[in-house]
Amino acid sequence: MPMRPSPKLRPTAWDALVVLCVAALAIGLAVFQWRGGTQESLTAVVSVDGEEIDRVSLERAAGKRTYQAGAYTLTVEYAAGSARVLSSDCPTQDCVHTGIITRSGQSIVCLPARIIIRLEGGAAKDGGVDAVLG
Amino acid sequence: MKPTTKQLTLCALLTAMALALSYLENLFPLSLAIPIPGVKLGLANIVTLFALYALGPGQALLILLARCFLGALFAGNMNALLFSLLGALSALGVMILLSRLRGLSLYGVSAGGAAAHNCGQIAAAMLTLGNSAPLYYLPVLLAVSLLTGGLTGLASACLFRGLRSTNLMKG
Repeated sequence: MPMRPSPKLRPTAWDALVVLCVAALAIGLAVFQWRGGTQESLTAVVSVDGEEIDRVSLERAAGKRTYQAGAYTLTVEYAAGSARVLSSDCPTQDCVHTGIITRSGQSIVCLPARIIIRLEGGAAKDGGVDAVLG
Repeated sequence: MKPTTKQLTLCALLTAMALALSYLENLFPLSLAIPIPGVKLGLANIVTLFALYALGPGQALLILLARCFLGALFAGNMNALLFSLLGALSALGVMILLSRLRGLSLYGVSAGGAAAHNCGQIAAAMLTLGNSAPLYYLPVLLAVSLLTGGLTGLASACLFRGLRSTNLMKG
């Protein structure tokens, strides 16, 4: 077997470059997404398999709604300015654990049920950068 | 090139270890601390990284494919196969490229691989959902991957240090 070059075992300056690249990509993506926000008021858009099935304005509380997708049922609670999945009978419960979403661009994804609840519109009042450090 | 018996044994062992590590990972539910689908330690990446340096890209790929297929089979969840395959393949691809750069240590290669893994999984999620919403998770996932990638890099560095006195690496 050809002897492969053995790896360096201590972090080098080049490693920092990789870390910086990944961090830059993360921050770039975050800024790009959180900057979004249009004149329209905050709206929850529910889609299953990429197809929009419901649209709920979050200007005032809209109560609970239930969605069925595939073999699963999700109960979503819409309050003024926020949405969350109250309960779901999916096995992973990631959607329930995601908790409350409040900002445009945020979403709750339930992979087993293939449901996405995504917030759109709303003022970008807290969508900008909070602080720039470094 | 025909694999030697030693290589074959090593491949089988590493596949078994990667599967065990993927399972072990579930005992540390990182996703409880950071409630985002896809957040995990990526312990199986230690095996990929080791195989890449000790056995080469070809056999690392074979181990990775066996791990993904068997893992999905054991979990009884073929839906997850696309996720683990896309994630693991992008991780391996990036790590093969990064490992050719002389300046990088295990840490950089591992962190790059972890970040690529998350990109691959988000791509899989976007494919299955037909929607760009999963992209929203990527910044946080990438930030977490720096941490987990560094951790698996540390584990691999310890592994290589421990194996330096043995002849395992010399084939």
